[in-house]
Amino acid sequence: MSAILSADDLNDFISPGVACIKPVETLPKQAPKEINAYEVTTEDKIHKENAPPAQISLTDCLACSGCVTSAEAVLVSLQSHAEVLNALDSQLSFDPVDLHGNDGSHQADKKLFIASVSPQVRASLAATYGVSESETGCMLDQLLGGPQGLKSGGRYGNGFTWIVDTNAMREASLVLGADEVIESLLTPDTQGCSSNASPKRPILSSACPGWICYAEKTHPHVLPHLSRLKSPQALTGTLLKTVLSRRLNIRPDQIWHVSIMPCFDKKLEASREELTDIYWRSQPADLPSVQPVRDVDCVITAREVIMLADTRGISFPNLPRQPLASQLAFPDPTLSAFLFPKPRSPRSRVQSPEAGTSGGYLYHILQTQLSLHPNSTLISTRGRNADVVEYTITSPTSPSPIFKAARYYGFRNIQNLVRKLKPVKKSRLPGARSSAAKTGAGMDYAYVEVMACPGGCTNGGGQIKVDDVPLKPETALSQKEWLARIDEAYFSMEDDSEDDHERDTAMTDDNSSDPGDLINGISPSYVKGILEHWSASTGIELQKLVTTSYRKVESDVGKVGGGENERVVELAGKIGGGW
Amino acid sequence: MPSSSSLPKLSLLSTLTPSSPSRAWLTAPHPTLPLLATCSSDKSVRIYSLTSFTLLSTITGGHKRSVRTCAWKPNLKGESVLATGSFDASVGIWRRYDTDDLNPKPVIAPVDFDARDENIDEYDEDEWRFAIVLDGHESEVKSVAWSTAGNLLATCSRDKSVWIWEEVGDDDYETIAVLQEHEGDVKCVAWHPEEELLASASYDDDIRLWREDIDDWGCVGVLRGHDSTVWCVQWEALTPNIYGEAEKLDVKEKWMKRREASGPRLLSCSDDLSIRVWRRNPKEKVPQSRLSIIRSGSSEEDWIEETRLPVVHSRPIYSVAWSKSGRIVSTGGDGSIVVYEERWRHSGTGTETTMLGARRDTIDGVENNGEPKADEAEPMEDVTGVNEAAEDANGRVATSSESGSGPHATNWVVVAQIEGAHGVFEVNNVAWASRKVPTGEGILEQEDLIVTTGDDGVVKVWRLEI
Repeated sequence: MSAILSADDLNDFISPGVACIKPVETLPKQAPKEINAYEVTTEDKIHKENAPPAQISLTDCLACSGCVTSAEAVLVSLQSHAEVLNALDSQLSFDPVDLHGNDGSHQADKKLFIASVSPQVRASLAATYGVSESETGCMLDQLLGGPQGLKSGGRYGNGFTWIVDTNAMREASLVLGADEVIESLLTPDTQGCSSNASPKRPILSSACPGWICYAEKTHPHVLPHLSRLKSPQALTGTLLKTVLSRRLNIRPDQIWHVSIMPCFDKKLEASREELTDIYWRSQPADLPSVQPVRDVDCVITAREVIMLADTRGISFPNLPRQPLASQLAFPDPTLSAFLFPKPRSPRSRVQSPEAGTSGGYLYHILQTQLSLHPNSTLISTRGRNADVVEYTITSPTSPSPIFKAARYYGFRNIQNLVRKLKPVKKSRLPGARSSAAKTGAGMDYAYVEVMACPGGCTNGGGQIKVDDVPLKPETALSQKEWLARIDEAYFSMEDDSEDDHERDTAMTDDNSSDPGDLINGISPSYVKGILEHWSASTGIELQKLVTTSYRKVESDVGKVGGGENERVVELAGKIGGGW
Repeated sequence: MPSSSSLPKLSLLSTLTPSSPSRAWLTAPHPTLPLLATCSSDKSVRIYSLTSFTLLSTITGGHKRSVRTCAWKPNLKGESVLATGSFDASVGIWRRYDTDDLNPKPVIAPVDFDARDENIDEYDEDEWRFAIVLDGHESEVKSVAWSTAGNLLATCSRDKSVWIWEEVGDDDYETIAVLQEHEGDVKCVAWHPEEELLASASYDDDIRLWREDIDDWGCVGVLRGHDSTVWCVQWEALTPNIYGEAEKLDVKEKWMKRREASGPRLLSCSDDLSIRVWRRNPKEKVPQSRLSIIRSGSSEEDWIEETRLPVVHSRPIYSVAWSKSGRIVSTGGDGSIVVYEERWRHSGTGTETTMLGARRDTIDGVENNGEPKADEAEPMEDVTGVNEAAEDANGRVATSSESGSGPHATNWVVVAQIEGAHGVFEVNNVAWASRKVPTGEGILEQEDLIVTTGDDGVVKVWRLEI
């Protein structure tokens, strides 16, 4: 969970799982220099090089829930602001202007640096520095790609060539998510079977990596319910790596992609093997010796952005609040219009407070359902706390609700969700017959938006905390007030650009899509057109690009496995460790 | 030595048979029936009779590792409900209809729940039925506790978290809070006897208090002071009981008034060899403007260390318990059982304490940690320089020192002690139980008993002869 996976906890008592497959004493004091620390070091590699002692990689640690804290130590060292600076200093920056007929293969020794930024991070920084959300976007652009930003220092004066708003691919995720739900409703009853076609009902959102990590480790029974769609971060990563590697004729590992997120657990997501180029590269035989290349190489959080600037001696609040003077054209004009809508304020990216703070997956699905059922009405009912909300769509023509969905945020509420989804089975314990019938009931939802953090993504573990903000005592804010301020910044996105007269015409400027098919301000047909273009231009099946999979991760905790584990546990108990 | 005769004596009443083959962790006396539930590292819970001192039944087959803790649900009639917490990270809820013939029932073969699959529908009415397993903790469960009303269950674990569960229907529980502020293994949870206020003790040396604010449970207080793991926290009964006669009525009145304002006190014991009593510093009632719509103040509570009990134990103190009659009993790694009483303080307590010190010669030389501890934030105007008791107490007397309205009104004295209660073994838990004993005229009288549970798997019942 995000609360656990926070860098603040690094001084915790680190207790490796009793049966941790990687003994702690073999941990190197420092990551060996010849290995790119942002790469997942696999066992193979270590054996091959016969060099430094075994290193626990993040991917290894995900297989063992016994040592979250030691995993996070590795996690932070692998993906940190320092790593971003190391990467920038590692190689010369690829020059997309210096192309010989769209062929960048002569620059094989250079790297293309790209970044993507989530809207919650902008909200966090906006609240911290008291600037508007769009100004924050400009400041981030200036930091990452501007002359007064990272480019002003470092070994090669490198910066980021493109800075993408993950909101673009979030829209794609919303459209695809609504379709996934529609499809699941068409399947007669997915409760019994678990075909690969669509997830079991209720479909559970899968954009929150903390929730996914927890479900895989602790509640494998919910995995068939998870939405197969990649998160906006992963979609952005796949899009950038596929399109740029094909368009520029460069290797995926020549593209270095940092994602700036509100959440530490996004680092876990980025390290998933399912989100590497081996899942989409067409001919693996072409590159037999190459390690899997992540779609997102590194994730840093809002707090780490500040550290990034500080380390280079850049004052983030003093960065220019104007867009970058010149922006290199993205090599695909269609995608360029989608990723970099003009003006900065995009077609429709105003967040409605009803959409929530986590991307609005559920909200978009509800709006889609409402549009499919004329005259239907939406009723929301608050659950036992603010982080549980139930939504019911009723129609005058139907006696029973036509669509039910819910929002479950926060660890405690997730507990109740997963318990209700537990399969009805004969308990291993006697007497369960009385209560067995009740489990599994009450889950007539078609969709549940699940987020690990109470309050959703604006309250992510990587956001700037109220204590980090130097405020005068008289203006000291409580955590709740602080969150409200971030939420305000999040929902105010683009609202501040009132002088932006182009806004009304932005739609038609961007694309010829028919504004009539707008749902929740998004045109599904336009987004689907973009996705088809993506698939066609890269020659990769769309399903491969936008979906992912989940797997049960075995945990050793609380299970009596082999005799060896048990003995260790017993021993620990004998010497008082069991206390 | 006139006061010597007035001191209670601790004597072994019975050893429960048969005892557990391996380490026993804790014994929970039933709130109303003469039953004891003992948690054992053999993965079972053993139910003993407090009248025949023999085993009545055994709960087995549920947990995959040591059962570390258990608690009886309060306020039930006709049925008993037991919550068990295990090192297998799960919490089990078990039910059994109360039978009338509890008392003289002969030893019964342990219920074999391993045969459950074959005859799942053939249960004896008087057997233990598994109701539900509460999964969620990621590591060993260390303590479980029911709220006074019985609707909430608190659990805590080595995973550093405290969970609160609410019974929302028959054998249906919902997680209403997962509290993760502790920075170490959480050892013990205990509910306030009246309010929905939870105390937790941890390996991080802190005690935390938790309360619901609107719909979120949150930490409302951190009680810092212990220098090492806090093993156990327990609450005082609603009504305090101070022994002896107060010298001055006004002092007593003041003390009782303050006690009424702050409510039941909290007791803690630690690896640092200290036992401490904590008291809420009641918030001053600020008269609210009728126009004000702002709620005054936060839910934060101010708790202060009121006093420390005389230091007797030489090894970590694992368990303390506060009886309804106001006595405290403690035990731990040194195998000693120590009983303490809170008395109205007399200016000339010297005689008594010297005597006490003489009787307990085995523990002479223990550093005097019973010094009163004043809280700087407290107004000191009421302190009237009667501090000699603490000086001459030879470590045996701790004076309730902080001022408020009752300076030095009471002090804690050791009234009974047994060493090596379980031979060379550590004693893991101590609890107060009570039984009814007939007096001369055939009237049943409540008698306090002390129940200790040891590493030897043995449960012993002790009488405090007064």
